[in-house]
Amino acid sequence: MLEHVINGLVLGGTYALVAMGLTMQYGIARIMNLSFGDMIIAACFATHVLFTALGISPIAALLIIVPASYAINLGIYQVMMKPLVSRAADEGALEVDSILLTFGVLFVIQGILLIMFGGGYNSYSFLNTPVKMLGTVVAGNRLLALVLSLAIGAVLVFILYRTRWGMILRAVSLSPQSAPLFGIDTDRTARTAFAIGGAMAATGGVVVSMFQTFTATAGVVFTMKALIVVILGGKGSIPGAIAAGLLLGLVETFVAAYVDPGLTLAAVYSVFLLLLLVRPNGLFGKV
Amino acid sequence: MSAKLEIANLNKRFGGLVAVNDVSFNLEPGEVVGLLGPNGSGKTTVMNMISGALACDGGIVRINGTDITKMKPHKVARHGVARTFQLVRPLPTLNVSENVMLALAFGKQRHWGRTAREMAEDKLAFVGLAGRGQEKVGDLTYIDQKRLEMARALASDPDLLLLDEWLAGLNPSELQIGIDLVRHLQDQGMTILLVEHIMEAVRALCSRCIVMSAGEIIAQGACSKVLQEASVIKAYLGDDHA
Amino acid sequence: MKTSYAFILAGGVLALLATAPVFISDYWTGVLLGMTGYVTLATAWALFSGPTRYVSLATVAFFGVGAYTVAVLNDIMPYPLVLLCAAGIGITMALVVGLSTLRLAGVYFVIFTFGLAELVRQTVSWWEVNVTYTMGRYVFLPFEGRHIYWQLLALAAVTFLISWSIGRSRIGLALKALGDDETVAAHSGVDVTRIKLLLFVISSTIITLVGAIQAPRWTYIEPSIVFNPTVSFMTLIMALLGGAMRLWGPLVGAIPLFLLFEWLSGTFPDHFSIILGLMFILIVFVMPNGVLAKFDSLRKGSKL
Repeated sequence: MLEHVINGLVLGGTYALVAMGLTMQYGIARIMNLSFGDMIIAACFATHVLFTALGISPIAALLIIVPASYAINLGIYQVMMKPLVSRAADEGALEVDSILLTFGVLFVIQGILLIMFGGGYNSYSFLNTPVKMLGTVVAGNRLLALVLSLAIGAVLVFILYRTRWGMILRAVSLSPQSAPLFGIDTDRTARTAFAIGGAMAATGGVVVSMFQTFTATAGVVFTMKALIVVILGGKGSIPGAIAAGLLLGLVETFVAAYVDPGLTLAAVYSVFLLLLLVRPNGLFGKV
Repeated sequence: MSAKLEIANLNKRFGGLVAVNDVSFNLEPGEVVGLLGPNGSGKTTVMNMISGALACDGGIVRINGTDITKMKPHKVARHGVARTFQLVRPLPTLNVSENVMLALAFGKQRHWGRTAREMAEDKLAFVGLAGRGQEKVGDLTYIDQKRLEMARALASDPDLLLLDEWLAGLNPSELQIGIDLVRHLQDQGMTILLVEHIMEAVRALCSRCIVMSAGEIIAQGACSKVLQEASVIKAYLGDDHA
Repeated sequence: MKTSYAFILAGGVLALLATAPVFISDYWTGVLLGMTGYVTLATAWALFSGPTRYVSLATVAFFGVGAYTVAVLNDIMPYPLVLLCAAGIGITMALVVGLSTLRLAGVYFVIFTFGLAELVRQTVSWWEVNVTYTMGRYVFLPFEGRHIYWQLLALAAVTFLISWSIGRSRIGLALKALGDDETVAAHSGVDVTRIKLLLFVISSTIITLVGAIQAPRWTYIEPSIVFNPTVSFMTLIMALLGGAMRLWGPLVGAIPLFLLFEWLSGTFPDHFSIILGLMFILIVFVMPNGVLAKFDSLRKGSKL
């Protein structure tokens, strides 16, 4: 029982982490990024390669992969998203345009990964030592994943709610039209938020790869789960993303343990639909 | 053509804010009544609850004795209630004639085909848009969009017409055209409830006014009398003028 | 009079297409078959998603369910009854999905349908493994390519007829109106939820039937084959390229793209997914007016 709670929290922690990234991209940069999961998977493979081929530990890999993906996402925003943002007549138009565009990106990333690594399952063994804790045994890598998720999540929450720069991000999220009236450069803010979101996806990828197997085609499922967490938590809400992420992780682990591992997605969907019908604006969404 | 509207104890809250508090009034068939009040006093909220756009938190709305309180907008429309919107909302994918045909096809009578096309042309002619059915709505001027909005509302053959600041934003000569149009409907015996800030229009059209402030009715009666009342002047202009 | 000429012309083209398998090789019949399948899918997709602007990615969920129904039922009942069952299952599923999701705002609908195919695939896999203990099924029906082609051609013709008649009916007008502004449509007397549901059910049922009719093509069926998400994406991009708001739009988009994809997947099988992705990006960028004007620039709010 306790074992499942811990495993659920580990999984939920990573969901919360990646969902925070997605909510930055969707809530602040207004880009609905459907290739988000594939960016996570790309980071999984990058970690895998760095670890197995070059012997760089996943912790050190974080320091390489996260800044790299920040830069890559900045580039993606500048080249592909910005023209869409400037031509969009309204938020709805941007939403549909960005959905269609990121479909394209999804297929490109997936195609490249398939050519480079094939379609099989991948994993590596890192810190797979059992750790005794609270009367149950947890794998060391899972514990590390949980700690990393919590720490990085906490840093983001601190930045958003305790710094001037975080206030700018939140202002743009709340009211993109009036933020410029206060001298906020919305374009720069959106660009930065998108890049941070991408960096969070990469962080999630590195963390996930430490304790889970992954395939080149698993990105879609990650995107879906991250989207579900974002919607459940309320668009743009960081506390919401954390709560919904943990909830989802627990639901999944318990369904896998007590019902059937094949039905986790069905369970996640049921929770999603149920909550959406009861609270259409998410757990922490504005009414 | 005309209907009796009864509203009793209408309530609406948005979170902690009481937008409409215990509002009751009646409209007799053929009456043209002004619903007045400063911005935020709950007039549009009342309109939205009558037309079904908002659910009431309490109270009853009856049209010709039928309870329409819990009905969805399309049902309310089929019971003979038509409305215009505070900001004009023409449908840009449809041309001018099709905008009107929509209400003809889904109103009380459900006209379609050639009859609907001819009736749409009649309605357009009535509001002063004769022969312009094939134009794009995006090309219409503001007054013409307002005319279209009126034609669309009339096309559903309503018994009760809700005009939400339909005369706002018009220049003086356009305003006169608008007032004449409403008076024409009045002569045909249509029951009309209009939310309006332009007192000139209210005086010209309404036999009676209802004044709201902060979600409650503070005065009602003949226009000339009500507009002199101290509480009404206070609500609009503040204490000093009362 | 113009309409009757168009009908005669369309009938002539249909007859020509129907006789085609007699003159061309089996390979080209196969190409025609696939093309007709996608033309039908794209037209059916646009029937609902074009005017309402609800981007549905559930295409393969219905398509796969249709194919699976045939796989499960083909040896226990006669073929026409199997198709009827497939249609019935399609309708039921569309009603359940529609009733629970059509009140969601646009982007939530996209996301829900995005995952629906995966959900259905996983649920079917789970069912097969744990309840029926079979993974993969065989479809033995005495059909050659041209038989399947003829069925699809008939379905395509029916789909066009439905799309054409809806476009001329008051429902077509209501659909365009609610795509522009649901509130105004409702206040004009349109039962918005019911019309959306009706169109979603019609569109999904046709898509289910396309899957059912194509099932005998595979002979061997398992979830990962018939629930391939590429089907949803290709349908979407075809309809968008041609214009989802017009009767012939999806057809105009489907034919060149199908031939292109057919050639690409034969010539560069490994790079297919990358090329598909680049095409997507290209269409969004190069045809902003194709995608944007037909799909979105008239969205509610933009006119204020």
